[in-house]
Amino acid sequence: MAEHKYEPTKWNELKQPVEGGKATYQKKSWNPTQKKWGAYTEKGPGQVWFAEANATNWTESMICKTKDLFYEAKLNTCFDKNDEVAIKIHYGEYNRTAILRPEYIAAIVEEVKACGGHPYVVNDTTLSYHLYNNMATSQYQQEGAIRHGYTDATFGCPVIIADGYSGEDDYRVEIPEGLILKETYIGRAVAEADAMIVLGHARGHSITMYGGCTKQLGIGCQSKRGKYITHLAHWGDPHDSIGWPKFTDKCPGKACKFHQMCDDSCPHSAHKALEHGKEWHPEKCRLCYSCQVTCLFSGMTGITFEDNYFPNAMIAHADAALGALKCFDKGKVGFINCAIDVVPECDCFPWAGKAVCPDIGIFASKDLMALEEATLDAIDNAPISPGSVAAEKGLKPGEDKFRAINGFSPRIITRSGEKIGLGTREYSLTNYEPVLTPENVAKWQIRPNKPTTVRLRAVFDKHDLTTEVMPFDRSQYSKKWVQEEWKTYDPYKGEKRG
Amino acid sequence: MSNVFWVDLTRMSFDNSVAHKLSRLLRESAAPAGLSDGMRVALKVNTAENGYEYGLRPSLVRVVASAAQEATGTQPTVCDGLKLVDYWNGAKGASFLDVARSKGYTADTLGGGFVINGGYSGDEGNLYTCGFPESVLGGVEVGSAVCRSDALWVLSHVTLHPLFGLAGALWNGGFECLVGRERTRVLQGVNAYSFNGHGPSGESLQILRRRALESNLGVRFSVEGRVTYVNALWDVTPQPEYFPFSEVPVAENLGFLASRDPVALDAASCSVLEPALSAEGRERIREFHEVLRAAESLGLGSAQPTIQRLS
Repeated sequence: MAEHKYEPTKWNELKQPVEGGKATYQKKSWNPTQKKWGAYTEKGPGQVWFAEANATNWTESMICKTKDLFYEAKLNTCFDKNDEVAIKIHYGEYNRTAILRPEYIAAIVEEVKACGGHPYVVNDTTLSYHLYNNMATSQYQQEGAIRHGYTDATFGCPVIIADGYSGEDDYRVEIPEGLILKETYIGRAVAEADAMIVLGHARGHSITMYGGCTKQLGIGCQSKRGKYITHLAHWGDPHDSIGWPKFTDKCPGKACKFHQMCDDSCPHSAHKALEHGKEWHPEKCRLCYSCQVTCLFSGMTGITFEDNYFPNAMIAHADAALGALKCFDKGKVGFINCAIDVVPECDCFPWAGKAVCPDIGIFASKDLMALEEATLDAIDNAPISPGSVAAEKGLKPGEDKFRAINGFSPRIITRSGEKIGLGTREYSLTNYEPVLTPENVAKWQIRPNKPTTVRLRAVFDKHDLTTEVMPFDRSQYSKKWVQEEWKTYDPYKGEKRG
Repeated sequence: MSNVFWVDLTRMSFDNSVAHKLSRLLRESAAPAGLSDGMRVALKVNTAENGYEYGLRPSLVRVVASAAQEATGTQPTVCDGLKLVDYWNGAKGASFLDVARSKGYTADTLGGGFVINGGYSGDEGNLYTCGFPESVLGGVEVGSAVCRSDALWVLSHVTLHPLFGLAGALWNGGFECLVGRERTRVLQGVNAYSFNGHGPSGESLQILRRRALESNLGVRFSVEGRVTYVNALWDVTPQPEYFPFSEVPVAENLGFLASRDPVALDAASCSVLEPALSAEGRERIREFHEVLRAAESLGLGSAQPTIQRLS
């Protein structure tokens, strides 16, 4: 590796806090906090339903079990007939592979419709997390979503960017209960819904260590303004690097082959490469992570995160999750965590690492914190996948996986979340196993009331294509050939295993 | 005098189908002039209310979207705002998209990302001045999909209009590009549904028309003047798209017109349309000539077009 010369970052000191237009902006902003808002579980453990990621017959298909859990966990009671029901998912970064398969989302859309709700799938725009981010504008995000198979046609309902074309279509929500944040901004397609079903992809996250349904609320439902707030932009002193990136004085400047990417990474041009370092204007920064992530993704160390940033961001995103929940009446939001493809990083990464454990299954609940605790416990107790970062770190089942992989325990989120009223960490887990009966086999099939075979009878009555072309041309039948010839192609010469 | 190109529907052949004609119109009228690689084009279209069944076919929208993509290397953003008056009280982004989808208007079919101009609520946008002190409105809030783009193509399904006289370039490229709350301001004091016995007075119509015309100035300002207009004389119905029904078209299909001048384009559309109308139909758009003159006096263009006919 080349030896670089490093000069200290040239700071243009922040003279005073940045004053924007808050005093006048959205003065009459609707604060949509519902009067009947409240955490779902009032007493005792929160009920969580679980279906494992395995199947040996029709009824055990993961899609069928997801539908079953929707009813077992009574998520169908989160909305009334004719309610507008937002289905909150993550649309996934461009080139990301470990995202929720569209079938899971379509399955929930189908059941919301079957219960008389009017579903639409939503996600908010993001900040510019890195310089080729696809989710920061609605146009790019839609293109990426289509590439992932997230379309009107696959879901059977509208697929919407919740905070508008530019990420400004939002409502301000006050959260006096928040430990750090006292307000946030929620995309209107979320805030104006009558009810919401949150479908979380349970996996790791570089900032919040773990991402499930809380992450869908605390970041995913936040508009651009909400995300700046949740990122803790301009909180404290720039030199503390909590509300700003951390400039390490380890930037080789223009000697870095990525320096142009680094300069291009900031949508506010807050920094630029010098001959042997960086120039930095903290007043222009809004803490979108773009420079930090671009630097880290490039394998460099000039711009990074302060260690204490992460646990504070975790607490802040739990606060912001409360902001999203307060847009709904108590019990109007249901949660599903899909612990499938449990990879180390977020769906906003433009790639996916190997899963840290085998697929676990589906969790469903009306209590957010109970759901998250149950999911995290299951992930921690799961075996370690060979070749994954969890295996590289020598983890054993039972250890806090995402603490070891990403740096801090995700329980910071659930404990702070419990404190502000997001739910209870205490949970009662019901293991759901469908019973193999004719009714259960039929109920989630494409035509439950008429087997495809029965339909084909009518087709074949009119036109029996197989009979038409008989007899087929092929080798003369020989019983000996049938029993022996295939063994000449078998590396085990027809010997049965075990 | 402004040039308007008109491609009629005569001499159809395998290489001169409706889609070929529309493509040719865009080429001959130099619609892509001024566009370059990477520019973001907003293609403003008309989506229809539930119950209105004469909306422009998605395949025709796609022809225009493809031309924009060819010129920029980037898919355009196809957009429309939430309806000015929501007959079925379903004015939420999800309902709007549901209805649009039921009519075949999706990103897949239209050839560009299909979005609501103004976001889910219809109110996301920016304020732009109308540019002159005597303006009644002062400025207008233009929807985000339009005002955040580098250029605007206005593809209008021409219909008769109970308030404006004719829904074409001036209506679609002005009032229809505004955010929802701004439309409410423009529409103030006017009941948009003449069929339910509440037709607006002449005076209130004059005010509305003036406001709607001024909207064009703000919209044009928001994209620094880079606006191209295309009018489709296709299923010209007595009711515009925001109605929850329509009677049958008042004229046969006459083709497409294009221009950079919305006044000239609407004037030309009228002159092509009028001979095909019944006496009653001609009467219904008679007042629109006053609108054209008012538009001309506001500097929006020339009401004396030079029509170049293509076949």
